[in-house]
Amino acid sequence: MAVSAASYRNIWVVWLQRYQGLIGLGLLLFLAFVLAPGTFYKPTNLANILNQLAVPGIMAVGMTFVILTGGIDLSVGSLLGLLNCIVATWLVSGTGIAPTILYALFIGTFIGALLGYIVSVTRLQPFIVTLAAMVSLRGLAYVYTNNGTVSGLGSKLDFLVKPIFGIPVSAWIMLVVTAVAAVVLWGTVFGRNVYALGGNEEAARYAGLKLTWIRVGAYAANGLCVALAALVFTARNTNGDPSAGTAYELDAISAVVVGGISLLGGTGGVLGTFVGALFIVCLNVLLILKGVNTYVGMGWKGLIILIAVYLQNIGRR
Amino acid sequence: MKFGIGLLAALLMVGCSKGGDTAGTTGGAAPGGEKPLVVFSQANSQDPWRKVFDAETKAAADKHKDHIDFDMQDAGGDAAKQNNIVDTFLVRNPKVLLISPTETSVQSSIEKAFDAGVHVILLDRAIDSEKFTALIGGDNVDIGRQAGEYVAKRLNGKGTVLMIQGIAQATPTKDRRSGFMEVMAKNPGIKVIEGDDCGYQRQKARSYMETFLQKGEKIDCVYAHNDEMAIGARLAWDAANPSGGTAPVFVGIDACQQEVVDLIKAGKLDATFKYPTPGAAGVELAMKLIGGEKPDSKKIVLPTEIVTKDTADAYLTANPNLAK
Repeated sequence: MAVSAASYRNIWVVWLQRYQGLIGLGLLLFLAFVLAPGTFYKPTNLANILNQLAVPGIMAVGMTFVILTGGIDLSVGSLLGLLNCIVATWLVSGTGIAPTILYALFIGTFIGALLGYIVSVTRLQPFIVTLAAMVSLRGLAYVYTNNGTVSGLGSKLDFLVKPIFGIPVSAWIMLVVTAVAAVVLWGTVFGRNVYALGGNEEAARYAGLKLTWIRVGAYAANGLCVALAALVFTARNTNGDPSAGTAYELDAISAVVVGGISLLGGTGGVLGTFVGALFIVCLNVLLILKGVNTYVGMGWKGLIILIAVYLQNIGRR
Repeated sequence: MKFGIGLLAALLMVGCSKGGDTAGTTGGAAPGGEKPLVVFSQANSQDPWRKVFDAETKAAADKHKDHIDFDMQDAGGDAAKQNNIVDTFLVRNPKVLLISPTETSVQSSIEKAFDAGVHVILLDRAIDSEKFTALIGGDNVDIGRQAGEYVAKRLNGKGTVLMIQGIAQATPTKDRRSGFMEVMAKNPGIKVIEGDDCGYQRQKARSYMETFLQKGEKIDCVYAHNDEMAIGARLAWDAANPSGGTAPVFVGIDACQQEVVDLIKAGKLDATFKYPTPGAAGVELAMKLIGGEKPDSKKIVLPTEIVTKDTADAYLTANPNLAK
């Protein structure tokens, strides 16, 4: 099979690499139609899927920026947990909703930017820098809440999960974030620079691009997305939990990879990410609807990620 | 690669249909003319007690499989995941939701289910809301009290007890402690040493006990807040006293493992108190609710039961689903 893949690379592989997310999603939706037509395609399930999509979807859009630069961010789950605790604590202690939201967005963006700066200046691998951040931020979340959960939030953030035109606000936020990210990546100098950095760092350097600021921008955009996701998460779970978001970085990275974006950087787009996130959420929902054990489901997810990464790497090494 | 994806799809289909067996035909068939659906959302299935809890719930549901469809999912201790599971369960229009919440933040989806007309039966853990049909669980204060009475009797009201404690801020720890201390207050001849928080873990209790025994202080009884810690303490005592000698009385709580009952039979532990798993009672209540009956009360307390050398065999026969 490897031989035939190599000889047809130009047409089939390129086509597959570009549309693998859509193909996978199509297959999955077809499977859902065969296995659970009465439940999966019910309107209430559509609302359910959109509700579940918001947090991983927004995080995956942020992750797209980082992965396009050729980096990776393992700290997003921990950052979500920390921001979840901060938002809950602030709201419980009586701070207004608007200042709390602005503060969370600021902290998220700032921590993202800081990580991008550290990666640029120290020239350490993003994997290592963000692994360290993953540990530290998680610890910080526990310290911030004194090892406990923060409850008593009530319905202060309920407006984030209420439906408008039948679609929850959280899902609207995700759609807007995806659209804005698409425009930024395709239509702005910054966006094109992100692709240039990920495509060929040396070439980008010789072309005189300010790599540090591109990286800081990409990681900051990621942090901002995590903060938005944390707000939606808090609205949905109505408390602050220092263990919140554990392993969410894996879902975000999976969505990006399934969406056809190369972990080597420089290729793919945010619409692919959207499809990838939709794929993962639909898979989760279908597995629950069909009563498949959650740990069996984890096995499937791992296998799918492996296949997606394999596809992306054909002909690129 | 097309072949690869095709293969994946085929595998996925096999996996799903296999898992679907337990769910019967609910996935596909049209509504009406179906068996009512009972779903069970478990907080996590990792510790031995919850493994027994799962097995007994499933066994109880199997008994009624001609009348209900049953499906369960484990949230792995993640509240956000449990919210997603409950929301997705609701898509299938269940009649009854059995749920052991990971923490109070699962409340929003539980309330949503209740508002949608689903009978909600909380198992073992409560929420900060009145939007549920019934709560079924054990009474840890009473268990602590009974353990205290057993210890007082064994020591004839005189001696020293080392209490090895569970996770400090957890409700079961507080209850198992306060029930025990209540009885100890009536027995001034017994001195209680409040041991460390050993997190309900065998290994931690063992290390703590090893250090404690270094002090050479004489103790007549070890009361541990669960069996795992009682076992850990006993292992430490055996290691420190290779030639035997008169061991203190070892008392644990939970009685959900085969190993504990075996140790009681072997005389290594003296007694344990059953912390009842609420799953089977939950399924029985679900059957009643489906039949149109109302629960007898909103809070249903399951009784505990002492296991000693004398009752060990009878206990094993009566509880076939103990964790191995």
